[in-house]
Amino acid sequence: MSRMKRIYDWFEQRLQIEGPVREAVLHKVPRNTASWWYVFGSAAFTLLILQVVTGILLALVYVPSAAQAWESLNVLNHQIPLGWFLRAVHAWGSNFMVAVVFIHMAQVFLFGAYKFPRELTWTVGVFLLLLTLGMAFSGQVLRFDQDAYWGLGIGVFIMARVPLIGGQLVHLLLGGPIIAGATLSRFFTLHVFIIPGTLLFLAAVHIWMVLKLGVNEWPMPGRVVHRETYIAEYNKLAHDDGIPFVPGAFWKDLVFSGAVLAAVFVCALVLGPSGPGGQPDPSIIQTVPKPDFPFLWIYSVLSFLPPSLETPFILIAPIAMIAGLLAVPFVASEGEKSWHRRPVAVLALTTVAVAWAVFTHLGMYTPWSPHMNAWSGDPIPVRYLREATPLVRQGAVIFESKQCRNCHQIGGHGGERGPALDDIATRMTPDQMRFKVVTGGGNMPAFGKNLSPPEIEALVAFLETLHPANEPPAADAAQRAIETGGGAPPPVGGHSY
Amino acid sequence: MNPDERSDNPEKASTGPEAGAAREQASERDGPAAVSRRWLLLKAGIALNGLVGVAMAIPIIRYLLWPVRKDAAYNSWVSLGRTSEFPVGETRLANFRTPWTRPWDGQTDHVPCYVRREGSAQFTVFAINCAHLGCPVRWFPQSQLFMCPCHGGVYYADGSRASGPPERGLFTYPHRITGGNLEIDAGQMPTLSNTAKLTNIATPGEEEGCSCRG
Amino acid sequence: MRLSTLVALGLPFLLAGCGQMPGEPHSPPVPPEQVTDFATLYARNCQACHGTGGQNGPAMDLANPEFQALVDDNTLRTIISDGLPGTQMPAWAQSAGGMLTDQQISAIIGGMRRNWAKPDAFGGATPPAFEQPKGGDANHGRQVYQARCAGCHSGPKRQQLTSPVYLSLVSDQALRSIILAGRPDIGQPDWRMQTPQTSGPPLAPQDVTDVVAYLGSLRNPDVVSAAPTPMPSPRR
Repeated sequence: MSRMKRIYDWFEQRLQIEGPVREAVLHKVPRNTASWWYVFGSAAFTLLILQVVTGILLALVYVPSAAQAWESLNVLNHQIPLGWFLRAVHAWGSNFMVAVVFIHMAQVFLFGAYKFPRELTWTVGVFLLLLTLGMAFSGQVLRFDQDAYWGLGIGVFIMARVPLIGGQLVHLLLGGPIIAGATLSRFFTLHVFIIPGTLLFLAAVHIWMVLKLGVNEWPMPGRVVHRETYIAEYNKLAHDDGIPFVPGAFWKDLVFSGAVLAAVFVCALVLGPSGPGGQPDPSIIQTVPKPDFPFLWIYSVLSFLPPSLETPFILIAPIAMIAGLLAVPFVASEGEKSWHRRPVAVLALTTVAVAWAVFTHLGMYTPWSPHMNAWSGDPIPVRYLREATPLVRQGAVIFESKQCRNCHQIGGHGGERGPALDDIATRMTPDQMRFKVVTGGGNMPAFGKNLSPPEIEALVAFLETLHPANEPPAADAAQRAIETGGGAPPPVGGHSY
Repeated sequence: MNPDERSDNPEKASTGPEAGAAREQASERDGPAAVSRRWLLLKAGIALNGLVGVAMAIPIIRYLLWPVRKDAAYNSWVSLGRTSEFPVGETRLANFRTPWTRPWDGQTDHVPCYVRREGSAQFTVFAINCAHLGCPVRWFPQSQLFMCPCHGGVYYADGSRASGPPERGLFTYPHRITGGNLEIDAGQMPTLSNTAKLTNIATPGEEEGCSCRG
Repeated sequence: MRLSTLVALGLPFLLAGCGQMPGEPHSPPVPPEQVTDFATLYARNCQACHGTGGQNGPAMDLANPEFQALVDDNTLRTIISDGLPGTQMPAWAQSAGGMLTDQQISAIIGGMRRNWAKPDAFGGATPPAFEQPKGGDANHGRQVYQARCAGCHSGPKRQQLTSPVYLSLVSDQALRSIILAGRPDIGQPDWRMQTPQTSGPPLAPQDVTDVVAYLGSLRNPDVVSAAPTPMPSPRR
């Protein structure tokens, strides 16, 4: 024991680290901050370390070359024992890290922890968030498969919308004229050197400020932040009703970090690594590119923009969002911290969270995308054909062969770009169907040139049968009145719909 | 002040009033406001490093900006094959090897495009990339439509926009026929900002849709 | 806590020795052009029209052993590769603008034969030839149709068979295929006409040809005026 002590002293005499560490470890924090709400920041840092470690391990095998990257990922997945597990841990660690960083930010926002004197901590945190997303995106590119290739293509097309220097920016992003070897090299550099280096440095600054400025006290309604008095109040709070950071608050950090790591491992074991998907060969066009989870919401938003808003939105929205985040502590550096007294903040956070959840959810099943194989792969439900005449059957063939199914569901299968057509006959008369098919309109292309008159007739004959058994198909009332000879004649120039 | 005196007896120097005054004086003399030889030398050192830094930065920036080049540096005429490979009245997928490549590009330099042959000498060559965000569009000869799997952009056979988020029709490549070969001027990923943009195809469908809505 | 963390850390490595974990990937992705598994190819490319398992779709039921026996490999290959003109059957071969390689088309033909062909599909009978010969007597065909087909194909539901709209969407060869092989999945008999509703001798080869010729003579696209009556938009 004394031998151990002597070795310790030998190092301590030279490193002189005991003092600062003791100070950091034992500094008093307000008692209420030893809360399960305060564990997300440390968990994010733990995940960062996990990502660094697994990333280094993966780099032992990964080849950052457009010709071989995909192959090397498959070697990791299938040939190197537990290579797939490391890939899975890295991928799930990334998902968890993005999630935990967002939760951490939401919590900090809700608790008013960005107010004086912690403005800079928040600002650095915003950059940490952006860097984390940068890691997620560049990591997706390094998984050099079809999704990576076309996902990067989306990035290129966004970049190209920048006025005047768009083309130059694209060249810089790609390292050349197309997505190719030079592009992968650049994203490897970003993902392995530039972003993680900056991330680690800024994380250190962030933690340094947390230690120096103290953990944000539990917000209480009425405990208002004033620039002149806050520091004295905080010190008094920490002194009078404080506990040492270790072990009082730190044990919860440890437990939560351990739980998050365990969750990452379980996800990795059960759900496995992400991809790689198909070969990064642009000539394979039978692909449906989709970004990774953290970017699904952007993918969704981009599908809802009207064409005229596309470029302005793409260029302005990200800058506005980042500027908004950076402005938060400067707009509201004083005042109430409690969410009971900050309705606007709570409302804003709720709105953002709900919007994010909705867009991400939509992004998971992309109702706006045509299903490329629906026309050849989704059968017509047998019950729709049981009573079908030859013409109706032929109409069903047309429905498939002309790719209607790619955008219109029937029987729960098919694209969701347009409305499902299971009961279309109750909503449209045959004439209206013909008109719609021929002229299109809204989000539907006009099929007038591409369908022959008999094809349209057969198609309409099929669509006419699509109504529930207990609900009659829609009919043109004026037409019916004329045919049956009863009722009042339609008013001149009037229409019955 | 004598430097020896300071180092000889630190305790005395730090407690004695005269020594305190002397130290104040010394720090004033060592402060950046004072013009002294050592401050001048420090500034010279900074200036030297700044100069070398600028001298280094120029080649580094030049190196970093290397990929930013004129379109002509990347583009050239590439062959898509004999014109006889493309039947009149049909739209076919064709692949070409992009002219500007590195040995480690792997398969990424195999670029697809669509060749539409309207007449014996009338060709249109469409880029594979959707004009919205660059995803690969797929041609469906049955319905005579190009469909994009990403956000549902749809184009008619002539490349004009049919529906969905794209603001314009499909990108086209300039083409020519040389010795029975169909050639296109290609090399860059076509985007809204480079020359692959070329002509804006009118979208009659769009106007119809508008007039319908009134 | 430390113990459980240790267990959590050690668990994967302990389990890895025991066998396949659910998350372990199975095989590298196969490029779409190299997929030659019949079930996958059929589900992706064929079943929308020809039905799950080759029957009950709006188009020809491929799981009918008689159809499989009638069509030889070369004909089948031509139909799949280049499409069947006069019908909605598209061309699938890459050489014809489709997405399938010749190997994949072979795999589809082989898979259909394996799954759906039966030896002696006709029970000893000899069917008329698969290909519709040129010519054919439409008048005689009409008589045969009235005598043998109209019994079923004359109700309000079935008579669309003679409607020019329907006929202009199916080729003579497609009509002949259905008459010869029948569609057991929807109750259409083969050329032997053996169903609860019909009886009598099989259709003679000439009868089949003539019925097809008769139906073909009804096919006149000009009769169809499906050009939609231009309507003002309801939204205006």
